[in-house]
Amino acid sequence: MTANLGLLQIPLTNDFSRKIIHVDMDAFYASIEEREHPEFVGKPLIIARDPSDTGGKGVVTTANYSARRFGVHSAMAAQKALALCPKAIFKRPDFTLYRQVSQQVHQIFKQYTDVIEYVALDEAYLDVTANKADLASAVMLARRIQKQIKQLTQLTSSTGISYNKFLAKMASDYRKPAGTTVIMPKQALAFLHDLPIEKFHGVGKKTVPKLHELDIYTGADLQKLTELTLIQRFGKMGDQLYRHAHGVDLRPVEYQRQRKSVGREETFGQPLMTEEQVQAELRRLAKGVAANLAKAQLHGKTIVLKTRNRDFETVTKRLTLNDYIADERSINRYAQQLWQDSGDLSKGIRLLGITLTTLNPIAFEEIRLPLFKSSNQR
Amino acid sequence: MQFSIKRTLFVKKLNDVQRAISSKTTIPILTGIKLALTDAGLMLTGSDADISIEAFISATDEKNELEIGSTGAIVLPARFFSEIVKKLPEDTMTLEVKDNFQTELRSGSASFTINGLDANNYPHLPSIDTEKQVVIDANVLKQLIAQTVIAVSTQESRPILTGVHLVLDNQELLAVATDSHRLSQRKLHLDIDKDIHYDVIIPGKSLLELSRTLSDDVETVEMRIAENQVLFVAGTISFYSRLLEGNYPETSRLIPSSSTTQVEFNAPQLLAAIERASLLSHASHNNVIKLTLDPAKDDVTIYGNSPDVGNVQETLTHSNLDGEQLEISFNPDYMKDALRSFGQTEIQVAFTSALRPFTLVPTEDQDHFVQLITPVRTF
Repeated sequence: MTANLGLLQIPLTNDFSRKIIHVDMDAFYASIEEREHPEFVGKPLIIARDPSDTGGKGVVTTANYSARRFGVHSAMAAQKALALCPKAIFKRPDFTLYRQVSQQVHQIFKQYTDVIEYVALDEAYLDVTANKADLASAVMLARRIQKQIKQLTQLTSSTGISYNKFLAKMASDYRKPAGTTVIMPKQALAFLHDLPIEKFHGVGKKTVPKLHELDIYTGADLQKLTELTLIQRFGKMGDQLYRHAHGVDLRPVEYQRQRKSVGREETFGQPLMTEEQVQAELRRLAKGVAANLAKAQLHGKTIVLKTRNRDFETVTKRLTLNDYIADERSINRYAQQLWQDSGDLSKGIRLLGITLTTLNPIAFEEIRLPLFKSSNQR
Repeated sequence: MQFSIKRTLFVKKLNDVQRAISSKTTIPILTGIKLALTDAGLMLTGSDADISIEAFISATDEKNELEIGSTGAIVLPARFFSEIVKKLPEDTMTLEVKDNFQTELRSGSASFTINGLDANNYPHLPSIDTEKQVVIDANVLKQLIAQTVIAVSTQESRPILTGVHLVLDNQELLAVATDSHRLSQRKLHLDIDKDIHYDVIIPGKSLLELSRTLSDDVETVEMRIAENQVLFVAGTISFYSRLLEGNYPETSRLIPSSSTTQVEFNAPQLLAAIERASLLSHASHNNVIKLTLDPAKDDVTIYGNSPDVGNVQETLTHSNLDGEQLEISFNPDYMKDALRSFGQTEIQVAFTSALRPFTLVPTEDQDHFVQLITPVRTF
């Protein structure tokens, strides 16, 4: 395939017509905690369970800028963060609160556009090419959103504005916190020219050394390579790198992004030790999953049971069915079946989760013959 | 044990018996084939515990060219044995069991020695003695199987639905299968004793295998039923299957007796149209086809669509469209299976409402064969 590519000239078309804002909340969880606990302000704050409570387990969810100066970053082992910054305050994450604040922020976005792609609780792309405020200047719109977020939540955010998602994301990252960066089509190549390769979205820890091997350190180095070289070396990702290096990213803002799975899981402070407890929890989770599915108007074909015991050994078992299911009873039945097949109580259960995947919108339902009285669910 | 035999005939019988042998059995000796030689002839046996097949090669039938040196029995590894036999060089072959169940196979200048097993350890097949045997025309039985097994469930969650329900009463044989989305029912009149009555569920898989073992030269099949086994005797082949335990759901009430919209099609023509329409619906997650019937305009149209690929629309050739206007959606796979079971005939399709099952019957004979399909509710 790739060999033939030498003969092919893949057109590199660009689209400068869109206006996309990437909004990134600044140290979102940490900032919320500082707002709730003014005594934390100015001190290094790490959102993670205190490693001395967990026996060294757990990872950093995020850290405030003060802690980041010590080299602490998200996904780092909490133990290591403690070593880097022994004076840091550890705060157990409160996702319910973070979700609430995130919802408030989303409400602000919705005043301006419906084309919003939520990447995470603290991050979203907004396509404001056409916007409800009828503002021609996306920069003014971004500033207005940031101001409104600040007024409503007392939190700062950074925005990046450009003609595609990749550049908008790069821009929001350029000046933090509370920055507003715009990359105009004319500026894009120059901006990318000086950008260190590590900053490119999608270039991870494993790719950086490979790129360095090829003498690629900045966007300028990347721009010199042909698409063929990058594809041969990095496959699909190479193609993406090539496009990004030339400021091309035609991905739409996916405001109707399809969910891949719907699930619920629960961690138990007191590990479950009996069959009855597990069954009761599975019933509760099944009810929750069914409720989530109903809300999203989805049904699924694959059911996944996740268990974790006291030794933190995590096991997931899956079962793919012939028919789509969405109701509490079926979800519970198959989850119980997976538990009967693979469950192990000997080391207690500290986490249980049920997830449904291979999802599909409920656009149709195959009607069943009423063969058995018990199966007359409808 | 020692004999020589005409190889082509032996290969054919081996193939028949091998249908019952699975390499994945939990009982090791069942991966083997049993050969038992008496003065009357050679009996081959294969089994996977669900199905057992016996094939007899008579010593008195000269076509078989069976020359008996000494009688006896042996179990040989089925896969190796049959592969070897198929590849032996000459028209005849000789088999001789030596010490420690070592078995020598010779043909021309080729000679194999393979390790056999003691035939005394091979499970015994049940003996099914009954006066109440039922004789069925082999072609009719094959057709009945083909028409019903398509509707058998492949899901183990309701084991009973993986079988075909056979009811024999008052000289009538009724065969029903359903996977709860479609149902197939076939009725046959049999010239048998009026007081023969049976109600059994035979695994669909067994019937499929039985149908494959029925060669064209077999004219009739004799069915004998015991408590948990059924035996079909066809020529020199005996086919045993276990029966499914439990009560089959009452299905007669599910077949609607009246309809509000009726139309007739040529089965192969409709099948071809459904196959075209399902090209796109298969590409989508929603494998659904929509059918509209408009008697006022005498129009029948199918629609298929895949959001990613495109859509299709086709006006169907039909006759005698009558009744109320209707729009109904269904899974084309069920429709295709059903239509194939009719062969080259005209069929009548009868609907009652968009959310009620509809039926397909041969236009000429509406009483003996019906396919029922449940529609799909679209949102």
